[in-house]
Amino acid sequence: MGVREETRIGEDMKSQKLSCEQAVQQFFAYLDRALKGESLEALEAHLAACLDCCDRLEFSRKLDATVKDRLAEAPLPEGIEERIRRALAD
Amino acid sequence: MDVESRKRFEEQALPHLGALYRFAMKLSGDGFAAEDLVQETYLRALNAFSNLRDPDRVRPWLFQIISRLAIDRHRSAGREVPLPSPEDLDRFSLYDRIWEEDPLPYSDRLHEDVLGQFRDEEVRAALLALPEAYRVALILLYSEEMSYRELAEVLGCPVGTVMSRLHRGRKLLERELWEYAKKRGLVRT
Repeated sequence: MGVREETRIGEDMKSQKLSCEQAVQQFFAYLDRALKGESLEALEAHLAACLDCCDRLEFSRKLDATVKDRLAEAPLPEGIEERIRRALAD
Repeated sequence: MDVESRKRFEEQALPHLGALYRFAMKLSGDGFAAEDLVQETYLRALNAFSNLRDPDRVRPWLFQIISRLAIDRHRSAGREVPLPSPEDLDRFSLYDRIWEEDPLPYSDRLHEDVLGQFRDEEVRAALLALPEAYRVALILLYSEEMSYRELAEVLGCPVGTVMSRLHRGRKLLERELWEYAKKRGLVRT
């Protein structure tokens, strides 16, 4: 991802079946493992032939990981369970 | 509700308090707001407990209640903000902006290194800036690792709507992060 190149590889290596624009539209579903069957095959075929889209996909994957990692796991405030039990009993 | 039913509810529902609170914290970024949302969730769940057929489904059921409550509160508070059109959203690409701006000329992993420049609080603030419906969907995906089908069930919408919210939410997040990069002088434009 982001490796410098003289030209942006991929512009002239697009898969015949899926344009780069169409492929990019499916990245998030792909990362979320929601693509199945022909859609998945078409995207994977495109990725096998398009380094630019591979870089873009890797960036989206890293961005997801960045956000996930920064979501702090807050500790439970002291006494919260008791307060909720009281509210439920009222 | 009789004492026995309330006790049964507490036995089944309260073990999920930690997960609900952590979700609410990610959603609001504020301890008081998070606890208030969780408490209201439990009160609503208690009132609807007789509708829960399968005790094994208590966790998704609670997430369904808290997610819809968060979205409804946001909507009724009139905090909806106008969004860019889907076309404008798709035209924006953080990947392309970083490439064009090239803020770290000596980096050989430009995009990864730029992502690493964002502070924790900036990423969280960017997420908090998203409309509730997108933020709820993204946090459920990131934290609870729900499938699109599970998300559709929790959010009460078709899978297509889930896909659209996750797609648009991420594109909005990219824009927000770019704004933070500009504010902090990481990039020039």
